[in-house]
Amino acid sequence: MNVAGLAPTPDTGHELRAEIRRTSQNARARRVLVSRVMMTLCAVAITLAAVPLVMLIFELLQKGIPVLDTTFFLKEPQSPTLLSPNATGGVSNAIIGTLALSIYASIMAIPVGVLAGIYLAESDSKLASVLRIVSQTMAGAPSILMGLFAFSFIIQDLHIGFSALAGSFALAVLMLPVIAISTEISVRNVPQTLREAGLALGAKPHKISLKVVLPTALSGIVTGVILAISRAIGETAPVMLVIAGGYTDSWKPLDPVSALPLTIFMNAKSEWPSLRAQTWGIALVLVAFVFVLSLTARIWASRKQKVGN
Amino acid sequence: MVLLPDLLPQPEEVAEFSSATSSRSWYHYLLIAVSLLFTLVSVGFVLSILLKSLPTWAHTGTLLTSRVWQPPNGPYGGLAMIVGTLETSIIALAIAGVVGLGTSIAIVFLIPRRLRNIVATFIELLAAVPSIVYGLWGFLVLAPFMLNTVDPWLNSWPFAKEVLGTSGQEFGSSLLLAAIVLSVMILPTFVAISREVIAAVPQDLIEASLSLGATRWQMIKDVVLPTARIGLFGATFLSLARATGETVAVALVAGGVANMQFHLLYPGTSIASWIALEFGEAQGNEISALMALGILLMAISFSLSLVSRWLVNRQRKLLAKV
Amino acid sequence: MSELVESETSPLGQPRSGGPVAMRLENVAVSFNGRTAVRDATFDVTKNRVTSLIGPSGSGKTTLLRALNRLHDLTPGAKVSGRILLEGTDIYRGNITVTELRSRVGMVFQRPNPFPTMTIYENAVSGLRFNGIKKKAILDEAAESSLRAAALWDSVSSRLKVTAGQLSGGEQQRLCIARALALDPEVLLMDEPTSALDPIATLHIENLMTTLKSRVTIIIVTHNMQQAARISDDCAFLLMGEDRAGELIEFDATEKIFNNPADSRTLDYTLGRFG
Repeated sequence: MNVAGLAPTPDTGHELRAEIRRTSQNARARRVLVSRVMMTLCAVAITLAAVPLVMLIFELLQKGIPVLDTTFFLKEPQSPTLLSPNATGGVSNAIIGTLALSIYASIMAIPVGVLAGIYLAESDSKLASVLRIVSQTMAGAPSILMGLFAFSFIIQDLHIGFSALAGSFALAVLMLPVIAISTEISVRNVPQTLREAGLALGAKPHKISLKVVLPTALSGIVTGVILAISRAIGETAPVMLVIAGGYTDSWKPLDPVSALPLTIFMNAKSEWPSLRAQTWGIALVLVAFVFVLSLTARIWASRKQKVGN
Repeated sequence: MVLLPDLLPQPEEVAEFSSATSSRSWYHYLLIAVSLLFTLVSVGFVLSILLKSLPTWAHTGTLLTSRVWQPPNGPYGGLAMIVGTLETSIIALAIAGVVGLGTSIAIVFLIPRRLRNIVATFIELLAAVPSIVYGLWGFLVLAPFMLNTVDPWLNSWPFAKEVLGTSGQEFGSSLLLAAIVLSVMILPTFVAISREVIAAVPQDLIEASLSLGATRWQMIKDVVLPTARIGLFGATFLSLARATGETVAVALVAGGVANMQFHLLYPGTSIASWIALEFGEAQGNEISALMALGILLMAISFSLSLVSRWLVNRQRKLLAKV
Repeated sequence: MSELVESETSPLGQPRSGGPVAMRLENVAVSFNGRTAVRDATFDVTKNRVTSLIGPSGSGKTTLLRALNRLHDLTPGAKVSGRILLEGTDIYRGNITVTELRSRVGMVFQRPNPFPTMTIYENAVSGLRFNGIKKKAILDEAAESSLRAAALWDSVSSRLKVTAGQLSGGEQQRLCIARALALDPEVLLMDEPTSALDPIATLHIENLMTTLKSRVTIIIVTHNMQQAARISDDCAFLLMGEDRAGELIEFDATEKIFNNPADSRTLDYTLGRFG
């Protein structure tokens, strides 16, 4: 403070401190008020965010539960008529279709996704770095594009026709990057010391990968797979272009099939109030399914983590 | 959660020990073969749609300039869909961004610690709710409410009719409704990421600012948000990507009318929802034009995803240095 | 000013130096969710001296220090009882807001924590800006004065506009000291300020503390006994009791604590028999 020229003299230093004290004293009340107002606005924001989301859950339960009965789950759909406007039948065909679609999609996507994920985690080759960018980009692609791809490839090029196969192909393309990414992360989280211990014992590298790394990473991989399936089950856009939908009740790979989300989409604009009401039931079933799967995945992951540690 | 792959911890250096790839075993070749298959599928994904769209680019070439969509012989103009996509997703992002940022701040700094995990789990579950469910809710609950209550109220303002258009459309479908439904949809995504990014700001920076006499808001505004800003941009872009790519929810509530529309209370459409709505009836030329719209959507989505990944990586590096 | 009166009735017998009291602790206890972490802390911190808090880990030194700045307000379930007086004002129940308290009682943390998004200059004046000071002339003057006081001005005056992350660890810590000094606090709390630094940077900070005490009262937590012996004038020794809560064992002039302590446990600790 006492270097020649620019430096303030002790006297101005004193003035400086006095001015700082005074200004900060004067500003204090306003600063505290601004802080209170802004934090209140944040509380308002979380309320604003909660209102529609809570409303959505509430409507789902209120309008969905009354629709759910044995007819809903076990009967095929039928068209309401003027004489029996409430005869909507059930959605058993769409339940079968959705199950078929997700099973076929899982059969296609899980092996490829998991193995590709292991490769991503354990290789530093050019292919791995390209694949990593590709899978991260694919994971963010709009799902309608998977539908376009399935239409272009399965229906137009392979001439297979509107079918469960085409729909599940679209869903598999959707699931692939999700599974690959979560597998990569789980495998990478396996402690390096485990592998080194195996190497020190003279085990062959691929044996270590199969017998040590994979079992340890399994819970993480399963979590990723469950989440991918839960996402595929609720998707409408990719399947709507290629499975034909409607009242078909088949589960066979080469037949047109129906699906729960697609049924919502088609019936939401129906002129029959009974059909519109039924969509709430389907939506509730879908959401319940997704929540149960996600929660299972979470609980599984946290439980395994505790055991692992 | 898997919907946020970019935010999960990813070790920078690849493990030196490459058990599966260093040896030339059957396992090694299997992994390579499968990875090649995956790559091939992804390349096929882009090429297949691109090739099918070529006739449109070659012959009519009006996709980016015309606002008229006229099957079966064209022209096929995508301007209405492009503008609709921009309008709905930008408005949705503005709403979800402001509300979401406040929500994330409230979750991290206002609500009791014990509730925090429950709220975070709930929000991540909501991010996993299928979009058709949001669409259904928008169509059956929100649309009548807009039609009967909100739209007339908006129209009662001076000049509102000139700016927003008049209400009274069938079902209450409108671009504004689509934007609102989208904002509700992307809010959980935005909050899930931004909450994580904000919570990752080191506690000692927070304490440092408070120990200097900062109020809670000053601490947030001058230290937490600047430190988290790149990650917050990442959250914004990921949410924008989700909004632009959303298909069925918009298809249900936007009205599905291919008019270039700046009056937000009128029905409109977006790229993705137009593909979904038109595809069922489309033949020949129009399928190619819809594939071309798909390429457009792909370009938007890929660039948003690249930008957001770059941002999130930068945020991770910044925090690693702190 | 009432401090002269108060120093005559120092709770632990004689005031250490006969000087005025900056902070007085009376039966201070801190608990988290009902579990006591530290208790029975009663001593006076004399103005313009360095007071050190020493003791093995778990003895509650840092917990006690953070209570002096009300940093436990952030922790749900934390409760501070007893009285802490700053210039005679109870900092928890008296007529003083928490922001005012913190601008009068500064804090330097274990790990250097300059704000990573701010430049060196912005870091130095951040406390002033938080407190509503906007005039550029004042900010400039205070920045220079506090950076000089932290012995950092000469090395950073030419690069005030670069981000703080580019400084070395020792320089970052001195920037944190400058940042706290800019507000001209009466008391500066330092929580093991050199534990993350190399020996040379540590030496710099220690020298700095000796110079600074003419300007600000310093309370430092350290687990390095040589450091406490070198730099502090008064010393409080804390130890973990049987219920795992820290207790104040002894408070006296540093010289006395290290050479002729009243409690045998203090001697055992300073001789390195445990801890």
